[in-house]
Amino acid sequence: MVQERSRKGGGTKKNELTLALFYCQNIPESGEGERQALEKKHGSSLRLFPIPCSGRLDPIHLLRALEEFADAAYVIACPEGACRYFEGNVRAQKRLDRTRDTIAQIGLERERLGIVVNAKDNPRGLGSVAEEILDRISGLPPSPVFGKRKVAKERRS
Amino acid sequence: MITAEQKPLDEIRGTISHFRRILVLGCGSCVAECAAGGEKETGMLASALRMAAKMEGKEVLIHEKTLERQCVRDFIILLDDIVHEYDAVLSLGCGAGVQAVADMFSEIPVIPALNTEFLGETRDQGLWVENCLGGGDCMLYHFGGICPLARCSKHLLNGPCGGSVEGKCEIDPEIPCGWQLIIDRLEQHHALDRLEHVYPPKDWSKKQGGGPRKIIREDQQR
Repeated sequence: MVQERSRKGGGTKKNELTLALFYCQNIPESGEGERQALEKKHGSSLRLFPIPCSGRLDPIHLLRALEEFADAAYVIACPEGACRYFEGNVRAQKRLDRTRDTIAQIGLERERLGIVVNAKDNPRGLGSVAEEILDRISGLPPSPVFGKRKVAKERRS
Repeated sequence: MITAEQKPLDEIRGTISHFRRILVLGCGSCVAECAAGGEKETGMLASALRMAAKMEGKEVLIHEKTLERQCVRDFIILLDDIVHEYDAVLSLGCGAGVQAVADMFSEIPVIPALNTEFLGETRDQGLWVENCLGGGDCMLYHFGGICPLARCSKHLLNGPCGGSVEGKCEIDPEIPCGWQLIIDRLEQHHALDRLEHVYPPKDWSKKQGGGPRKIIREDQQR
């Protein structure tokens, strides 16, 4: 479902964008309670998708998110060398890079996809990383995937 | 296995730009194994094309489906009920699959989304290598199971050439010298004497010298 967002004005407020955030369930403070609390706090700006390992992430997950509702899609992975399944985080990075190439070919900014690798020594919790990513994407304009359709809809009405 | 790679998105978009109802059709066999045209890749391509269309403000219907094999009519026939809903089929099959679908539904353009590459082997995750030319008269026995036509850059039947350096090919030092591999293998099999034979030029009439080939097996026919 496409979220209703204001497209007016030059800048984009943080909460006008929708972030699809895939995260490894092995990162700290990423239980179901934390997920629900975060989604409640951020409303339609944040959609969280727990995955058993960032290596489970597939490019189609990122693309479908961008196609259907998200202005940006990110994944949170464990530090290199600290993946419970050995190399899931390395694979996630490679898949993300390839998917970035795909969206760049259709004219979408590569920055709409990203990965945050948690710190090895003092890994941060889900909420803290999610806030950082929301800040990071706040400079992006709304996704043109929804923009044209919205304009066309307004013209018809 | 037949290997393939997806064409650049720009090229694909150019070939489908004047169609409004498109079926993106994957194949679950060889091109799925080489991560070019299976169900996942079909979904990704369809998704990217839908986004591109939305960004251009185009009203385009893009659906996706994956057949178990696009080169077998028993599977292609599964499109019978749906294919006429579309202006075009964008196929992620190999060249054989594209043509098989197009022959069956000749009234609908079937457009290739992949470049078919070679007959090869999955050597490792994400690594496919060419090792067969489909010559029609297999000579692997003579060369210890390593095809000099496919794996020697110069296709030499009586090698090696003088350009082999430390087991690598002079064409590209990343490529193992096919003839070094043959010699090593035959030595392993105590069969180096096979190399004393001088092989005449390859008889290409058994490849495509007589035009497109076919195999007929009456015991397999209806």
